[in-house]
Amino acid sequence: MVSAQNWNEVSEGQVFTLTEPMDSQRLVIWAAASGDFYQIHYDDDFAKGNNLPDIIVHGALKGMLVGRLLDEICGDSGRVTNFGVSYRGMDPARQDLTVHATVIKKYEENGEHLLDLEVGVKQEDGSTETTPGTATIAVPA
Amino acid sequence: MTDELELTQDMKDAIDREGDPVLYEVTTLGIRTFARAVGYTNTKYYDEGAALAAGHSTLPSPPGYLGMPVWNPNKEPSRQPTFNNPFTKNLNGGTQVQPIQQVYAGDVLSAVSRITNLTMSPSKSLGKMLIRETETVYTRQSDGVVVAKTQGQGISY
Repeated sequence: MVSAQNWNEVSEGQVFTLTEPMDSQRLVIWAAASGDFYQIHYDDDFAKGNNLPDIIVHGALKGMLVGRLLDEICGDSGRVTNFGVSYRGMDPARQDLTVHATVIKKYEENGEHLLDLEVGVKQEDGSTETTPGTATIAVPA
Repeated sequence: MTDELELTQDMKDAIDREGDPVLYEVTTLGIRTFARAVGYTNTKYYDEGAALAAGHSTLPSPPGYLGMPVWNPNKEPSRQPTFNNPFTKNLNGGTQVQPIQQVYAGDVLSAVSRITNLTMSPSKSLGKMLIRETETVYTRQSDGVVVAKTQGQGISY
């Protein structure tokens, strides 16, 4: 878990990460939470029958993992104002995924202390970025 | 039809047309299941007492969680305007979320989607593809306040 941040102590270029295992049980829980029951996410035979190397992580789960990282940076006194990601590649399950957020701009607007961030999700090898995006959050100062 | 890169009139007519409203229920069970799936450890998403201690009236919804549509076994769960789609396979291209007001367990949201753009494009890996951009507005039923907007991109090929 990433600790809640104070705007005054955050610097541009600062990077936050969390790493999560993506096992089949995780994907089944997500299927129940989201209502996405497409079998490529939990049925090995179905996935391989669709020319996939393994079951794959739901795109929306990756997007919401980004939301969780942002929520943890905000803490209970901040708020996520917007976030978005593109699903550029598939992530096979049964590996760790690392969610990351880099502060690219720190500023004040309409009385709020804001951070713009570049966000994304990388595979276990550390080099493959499949879910790039951007976000803005308000954090306490 | 799929040999052409031009949108059909049917597709053009679907742009900017709103779909039927779909009701989404936000429940304590839904919030807890979502929070567990995403790996939240902040107890305000699981425990009423922790939520109250954090200044909320009940379990708050984590960013991006807007409940689950009310399931009707006799109705297709489609919320988008429809058109004759010549492609059969679909990919989720991306999602943007704009939380506007805090959503809580007990809220019922009315979601109205519209297609904001359709584009037929060539693709090296997929052949031709149809890119569908949508926006969905979530309105809380109890007070008529818009609590969130989402944008999505779908790819058919």
